[in-house]
Amino acid sequence: MASNKGASLSRRDFFKASGLAVGGGLLGGLAPSVAKAAVPDSKWESHFSACDMCFNKCGLVARVRDGVVTKLDPNPKFLKSRGMLCARGNAGIAQLYDPDRLKHPLIRVGDRGEGKWQRIPWDEALDMAARKMQEIRKKYTPCGHLFSAGADLQTQFVTRFAEVYGSYNITSHESLCLLSGTRGFLDTFGEVPFADVLNSRYVIMAGANRFEALVTPDSMDLMTAMKDGCKLVVLDPRFTKTAALAHEWHPIRPGTDMIFMLALMHIIIGEKLFDPEWIAEKTSGIEKLTEHVRQYTPQAAADQCGIPREDIVRIARELAEAAPRSMVYPGRRTSDYENSTQIRRSFALVNALLGNWDRPGGLLAARQVGLKGVPYDPPWYDENPDDRVDAHKVPGMFEHEGSFVITRDAVLKGEPYPIKGWFVYKTNPLVNAPNRKKSIEMAKAMEFMTVVDITMSDTAWMADLVLPAPSYLERQDPCSGLQGSVACACVVKRDPVVEPLYKTRPVFDILKSIADRLELGEHFDFSMDEYRDQQLRGLPDAMDALDRDGVYYNPSKVYGIYDGRIYKTTSHKIELYNKRYEQMGQDPMPVYTPPSSVPENHFRLVIGRNAYLTHGSTCNNAMLHELVPENELWLHPSAATKQGIDTGDTVLVSSAVGQGEIKVRVTEKIREDTVYMLTGFGPLSKGLSLIQDSGASIADILEDRFDTISGNASMHETIVSVTRKVPA
Amino acid sequence: MTKKQLAMVIDSGACIDCKACVISCKVANKVPGAFSRNWIKEQAPDFSGTARPSMHFQPGACMHCDTPTCVAACPTGATYKDLETGIVEIDKGLCIGCGNCIPACPYGARYRNPETCKADKCDYCPERRAAGLPPACVDTCPTKARVFGDINDPMSEAHQLLKSGKNPIVTVVNEVTDTKPNMYYLDKTAPGDWTEPAVVPASMTAMKQLTPLVKGIVGLSGLGVLAMLGRQLLVGDSHEQEENHHD
Repeated sequence: MASNKGASLSRRDFFKASGLAVGGGLLGGLAPSVAKAAVPDSKWESHFSACDMCFNKCGLVARVRDGVVTKLDPNPKFLKSRGMLCARGNAGIAQLYDPDRLKHPLIRVGDRGEGKWQRIPWDEALDMAARKMQEIRKKYTPCGHLFSAGADLQTQFVTRFAEVYGSYNITSHESLCLLSGTRGFLDTFGEVPFADVLNSRYVIMAGANRFEALVTPDSMDLMTAMKDGCKLVVLDPRFTKTAALAHEWHPIRPGTDMIFMLALMHIIIGEKLFDPEWIAEKTSGIEKLTEHVRQYTPQAAADQCGIPREDIVRIARELAEAAPRSMVYPGRRTSDYENSTQIRRSFALVNALLGNWDRPGGLLAARQVGLKGVPYDPPWYDENPDDRVDAHKVPGMFEHEGSFVITRDAVLKGEPYPIKGWFVYKTNPLVNAPNRKKSIEMAKAMEFMTVVDITMSDTAWMADLVLPAPSYLERQDPCSGLQGSVACACVVKRDPVVEPLYKTRPVFDILKSIADRLELGEHFDFSMDEYRDQQLRGLPDAMDALDRDGVYYNPSKVYGIYDGRIYKTTSHKIELYNKRYEQMGQDPMPVYTPPSSVPENHFRLVIGRNAYLTHGSTCNNAMLHELVPENELWLHPSAATKQGIDTGDTVLVSSAVGQGEIKVRVTEKIREDTVYMLTGFGPLSKGLSLIQDSGASIADILEDRFDTISGNASMHETIVSVTRKVPA
Repeated sequence: MTKKQLAMVIDSGACIDCKACVISCKVANKVPGAFSRNWIKEQAPDFSGTARPSMHFQPGACMHCDTPTCVAACPTGATYKDLETGIVEIDKGLCIGCGNCIPACPYGARYRNPETCKADKCDYCPERRAAGLPPACVDTCPTKARVFGDINDPMSEAHQLLKSGKNPIVTVVNEVTDTKPNMYYLDKTAPGDWTEPAVVPASMTAMKQLTPLVKGIVGLSGLGVLAMLGRQLLVGDSHEQEENHHD
């Protein structure tokens, strides 16, 4: 129960001890973030900030003229992004000046989801939010209120608020995204690695698409490495742009990556292509793994994954030949299958055999950034239940992330206890979570639901109270520490580059105001400047660097971090065999089970990204909408011919839980047994004017299964039918 | 030969088709709606099974040619090759928005801006260059596929890439109309078959070679151009008046 584990030093003492005045103002004027060096003779002012169009937080320079942002440029000193700003980063300007921005607090006056709203003043909105939260806490205990917050620099204030309010029930976005991979690598190496793509000579990329789903610096470094001779092998049922630029693309049968990895291990171990001394010193369980992978012959793998036996053998040898400067790229979104933790653990085990941990061209440990946490001391609430509402359903759930899918089921059942309040910030489960019918029912089960957002997202559309937030270019944020693999370990900050356009309030301000009303104000009696000073207390030079360069670098150790250090695992070594899994009743080494078969005239639905959109948050951006006006269903020509479907036809995509209407793109860029579509279209909300009646929503079609170890959603387990819609 | 020749040397093999350059340019140059000053072309993959399917992406924009057909097509002299910089410029004060230059470009680099009613295309972001910044597309590129500079300056990276002899250099030219473009691609590029022959309306100087019938048509089109010029001037006046009202 993380929520009741407070630090020994109370937050008040903490600020006092450091000599900081408490109770400072909220947002001051514009902070002095003018980049002095840039643009000497122009009429522009230049302000540093960090992008918020996806999770990467790329350093940017905002060019501002007469109080208007005219251009967003990359911060050339920002090494993590290699001095770039992508299409979305450039289109941030269209988010700031989006006419669909929320401008006033809105209270629901019609039925939930009906879209009838009334403007109310901020004081009234905050009074109402506080009153409802208090009512729910009284009726259902503090844990009767759920808080959901996505990855954002101010998310820590949502967590802080939830814990001082007394709820353990906090879900992040990550259980709809990356937790399976996190679990699999954590349970092998004791921490989650960063890939040294730049110095690698051989990269196998499976279940990842780095030239479209941009991750800094990996995406840029992959191209640089390839220019320098690195070989890229892509396994993907889809011909992504990463596949298109790779040396090899293997259209693997979805759900069979694990047996491919096990066969690589079969070859690497069988042919003794690993460094026996390194393996003996750093790992535990090589004998058991040797025995385990004997059954996974290249032929057995070829029969399952559809990649020829000789290619599997060759790739294994090439990979081992390039070791330790070679890798199976860990990937990010791993919300694919019910056994995704084990799938990703098989990736981790190949890396372990390559001996690439903590070494150039391999997988790296987190570097020291030096940013400090700001501790707080949540009160104890005797009335609370013992645990989170989603506890004990899976053995490897992350307490601080939760499982959205399991939480939602608990809310719908009212078991183990009722949850009747929901506060949502910077996450959009009505778009991103599978089985939207359940999400709608979940919203309807709430006595009060508050959403803080910049536009009327689908999740906001279901709320009782919608509170408008400023965009990232209008607000002051805490500092954020970023891992940039070999590029850097760095700190960024955000200050407003223009005055807020509307009467918006950042979630920090909103929660501070609600905390005051709930007599929890002592936990929020600091200004953002004071908070940042606390974060930077161990880095005396950082604020100067942030003001001067827009980024602070910690020149911390990159390689050899584990020299003379034990691994944070049960055996204190890299765990080829995981004893804790054995104790939990899980497979201590990944055991392959074939994916469900796809019946004739049916397809497995896979999802993914392109470089122009960040799921549901950017489809309505006017500039990006020019690039992608709606989503399409990728369908292989042979499947299309069988069903009499042409490019541009509208089809009905149906699963066991729902359906969607979408236009088809007939293309050989997808396997015959698989279909693909982008996230973020087919909105519920009428407040997203550009994408009304555009495309289909993955949330409507995907089944809500989950990874049986981490509780992460499993978004590639859905089988669909595709039928041509005859025009009425 | 121009004193300088500002140009781009592009490693199209590094392009990942992320379209950062497209959006960056649109913002920097206020390019409206569905128009764009630059582009990324793609070489479609071959799934016939004869080779591994792959793609190649090719960033492009106005190529600031040595023998620009758009200059020949412009009836007012608005479009000209700047001998100081090597840039093919559009003098917006002289442009009448007749559109002759648009089909005259084999690369489709020009469009008629519906807001200004003038021809528009890449001009290497003069405001940014004056401020010491690279053109918007160059600055923002994730894989730094574009190198911009004066290829006549031996100290420039663009010159060095072009002249070092390390990489073969290719240009995208049209078999019918070789405009001697100053957009250079390192090693190789694709696709190469997308350009169109320049469609240059017969100019006043070329008219003497033409048959009387064609002369008549060209003459009529000339009248049309003059009519548009007159209209443009009127529109220009009314705009000025509106602006005065705001003051």
